[in-house]
Amino acid sequence: MQVNYMDKDESPQIPRRMTRSSASSSASTSNNVLAAKVNSFEPLTIDDLLVGGNATSLNDIISNFPGRSNQILEIVRLLGPLNSPMLPLFVYGGSSTGKTSIILQLFRHLNRPLVYSSCRTCYNQRILFESILNQLLLHRKDASNGYSNAKRCDRPSDFVNFLREALTNVVNNLKEKSRKFSNKMTHGGIGNMIYLVFDNFQLVREWDKSSTVLPLLFNLYDLLKMPEVGLIFISSTSPDTFYSNMGYVEPIPVYFTDYTECDIRQILLKNQVNQKLYSSFLDVALLPLCRITRQIGELSTSLKPLYEKYCEPLTDKGAVPNEDMKRRLFSHFKPHVASSLSETFKVSSLPSAEVETCKEKKWKGNPKRLQQSEEMGDLDFHMSTSAKYLLISAFLASRNPATLDASLFDSKGGSDNRKRKRKPSMKVMEQKESLEEELLMKGPGTFPLERLLAVFQCIVSVADEPSDEEEQNDDGLGIHGGNGGLVSDVLLQLSSLCNANLILKGRSCPIEGSTRYRATISEDLALKVARSLKFPLSKYLYRR
Amino acid sequence: MEGENHKTKAVNLLRSRICDPKFIFNDSHSPDTNYSKLKFMISTSVTEACNNSILLLGPRGSGKNAVLELVIQDLFQQYPDSISVIRLNGLLHCDDIAAFKEIARQLCMEHQLLFSKAASFDDNSQFMVAMLKECGLAHKTVIFVLDEFDLFAQGKQRLLYSLLDAMQSITSQAVVVGISCRLDSDQLLEKRVRSRFSHRKLLFKPPSMEDSQRLLMNVLTLPIDSSFPHDYVLQFNGKVQNIIQDGRFKETLSKYLNVDSTVKHLLRFLFCAVSHMDLQTGFLSQENFEIAFSSIQRQPKLECIKNCSILELYILVCMKRLEVKEQSSYNFNSVMKEYKSIHDSFQTSDYYARNVCLRAFEHLLYRELICFTDNRGHSLSVEFRPVKLLISSAELHQGLGAFHSCPAILQKLMDREG
Repeated sequence: MQVNYMDKDESPQIPRRMTRSSASSSASTSNNVLAAKVNSFEPLTIDDLLVGGNATSLNDIISNFPGRSNQILEIVRLLGPLNSPMLPLFVYGGSSTGKTSIILQLFRHLNRPLVYSSCRTCYNQRILFESILNQLLLHRKDASNGYSNAKRCDRPSDFVNFLREALTNVVNNLKEKSRKFSNKMTHGGIGNMIYLVFDNFQLVREWDKSSTVLPLLFNLYDLLKMPEVGLIFISSTSPDTFYSNMGYVEPIPVYFTDYTECDIRQILLKNQVNQKLYSSFLDVALLPLCRITRQIGELSTSLKPLYEKYCEPLTDKGAVPNEDMKRRLFSHFKPHVASSLSETFKVSSLPSAEVETCKEKKWKGNPKRLQQSEEMGDLDFHMSTSAKYLLISAFLASRNPATLDASLFDSKGGSDNRKRKRKPSMKVMEQKESLEEELLMKGPGTFPLERLLAVFQCIVSVADEPSDEEEQNDDGLGIHGGNGGLVSDVLLQLSSLCNANLILKGRSCPIEGSTRYRATISEDLALKVARSLKFPLSKYLYRR
Repeated sequence: MEGENHKTKAVNLLRSRICDPKFIFNDSHSPDTNYSKLKFMISTSVTEACNNSILLLGPRGSGKNAVLELVIQDLFQQYPDSISVIRLNGLLHCDDIAAFKEIARQLCMEHQLLFSKAASFDDNSQFMVAMLKECGLAHKTVIFVLDEFDLFAQGKQRLLYSLLDAMQSITSQAVVVGISCRLDSDQLLEKRVRSRFSHRKLLFKPPSMEDSQRLLMNVLTLPIDSSFPHDYVLQFNGKVQNIIQDGRFKETLSKYLNVDSTVKHLLRFLFCAVSHMDLQTGFLSQENFEIAFSSIQRQPKLECIKNCSILELYILVCMKRLEVKEQSSYNFNSVMKEYKSIHDSFQTSDYYARNVCLRAFEHLLYRELICFTDNRGHSLSVEFRPVKLLISSAELHQGLGAFHSCPAILQKLMDREG
């Protein structure tokens, strides 16, 4: 979802994802150049530390990122003119506010070398250290060196030694280069500063159980004592979430606010063909959605299908809407907004074209039913019948207290004749309330495998017996042929349900020693599954 | 062209001054400064060939390291052949094995010996003792700089013990300088280590307001020499003088230094101000400092609340109401119950489906306005894990007030309970 938006928003020359990955793997230049480089084994030069691609002017960058001019100018000022030393920067702001793209674009504009490493791809300290050193030592992993790193370095002490060495080399190279350069021209050198950029810095907190990496990186500037090195930390959380008892001299904060509604509008409008039509669409759609979320990525995913709906009555999508048309479109469109407000985002298992035809068919088949209720009734994924039964039994085992299993399943369908006989007293009511509270707080209960199998067998036997509900017998479960087959089959199903995250497998219980499971599905989903099997789930559900 | 050039040159000069601790701490040469005391202590132990150990204590960014570097630099000029410096950092070498290895490596580098990576802990520590003896015989003082000294005092303190123990012998000649921001660092030492430590401590205090202003003047004025046009320098310095004397500026400065008055903290402020300098005019102005002040003094949580959507605010207010009700612990489900009850009693227009709320809830987690109370329940799904607010109700109140389109009902709900 983010990728979609990024591609749209990004300046046409380079998609940002590519820049990121190439920057983190080999800090190379733009895509095609990268490809060429990988094929021919030219040694990397110091120019490869630059963000490649066509140089853009500052004005282009500002117009590429609507609503970000303050931040862009602030960073440019803090980076300063060529060859000016810099205190560490801390760039922070919510997700998809353009932190990384702006930094990379600015470095391309300024034409200065940087070493970019994301703490997401470099997911532990060793990989981070080695990635930085690889880039600085102009080392490229390829078949000839067995995809090995330039240096093996695990300890912070080694890292700082290697880093100091490598940085000194690079800086000397840069100085040499700029000296040569200054003889020829007065302008346009790459300077002798080198910048280290740490992206997704908030993740470091999680790998830092022994709390050494975080203080190390924050104190790196003081440890290195090299004025030619600039450090930039990019994080999605604010500096106050990094406080530790170690302490450090705080870097200079640069804050990226979330986009305002006005900015969001501009961004969304940017790559639209029919600007007028889209703007009239945004007039009606954006405001209600903005009350829910202001993240541009999420907004753009939920706006895309809405726009298609909006355009449905139109024959010519290039038309410029007038007032009358706007009103007509709005009245057609209004119900869709309301429904889109209540869904997050949906991934259907079928390719979208198929879904469309599917819906069409159903629409024709029973025109009275509303689309919404139809979607409610259907499962949008496929599961074997036995897996469905297993899921239901897991759900039951999670919800019902274990002590009630016997009374629920022995007398078949026992729950509904076990009615309350007298009016519940205050005390009972209170008890009930506190139990409800407990259910809300504790979540679904856990159960051992044996109980799951027992419940499974019970409900399957219930379902197998001929009842007034039709075609019950068609749910061929193939479990009549001996228990051994059943158990192995069920275990297989269980593990696939665990993999699908519908059932969670907990750690083994320290007292009993057996593994316990927990169903994570909501009651709605369980009811849906039961409905698809025509299984009377509510009969077996213990209501407190 | 030429005009542009000297303006950028001025900015570069100021920035490199701010980033260079040696420049910042260089001005203090009167006899009672830490610089002179430290220099005296180390130089006597160099000249009189004795052992010594010193602790430099003070808050982060008060120039302990910079002053020590200056002293060492001076001593290198005075006694070029009789000093060698070994630098260790608690962040990097707090385990004994790494520390001894690093000492051996640096000693080898100093004396052009071959360093073996494979040498064991024992080899390295024996090598160090032997080297100390050799250095003592050659009348060479080894200065051990232990940055983040408190981290070396964790665990068994084997490094400190063997270092200080080796210094007990008559032949050796070494100075151990510990640098720490923990004022109680010497209390962390074990008895056997403490008894071998000569308790000299130098305390680094943050500068007074007058000193800070002198420092400002020193950093921000341009030198009157041939590198800049003469009248430009005069005009520049005049403006700086005016700004520093200005009452409004003094107020801002003292507000800023009230939080933290160490030198590094002041330098951050100056750095921001200098980088906001207008290159068109080429002079610092009062506004530069105002902007710098507002961009450094941030209130991250309030900013965060400002970024929330209306639904996220609803959830925050619900959680705050639950906290006021003194519910011991609550999770998403109980928040939803509260949300529903608000909707039931006030008929708000913002009532959304559960999954939408769950997503908003996850946004709040991601923004770190709320967090899970424990890390244990990884097997539970998000809805069931107990959560807590990371902002106080005052902050939430202030945030709602600053929010540009906050629904009136939310304000009302806040006021009623809070």
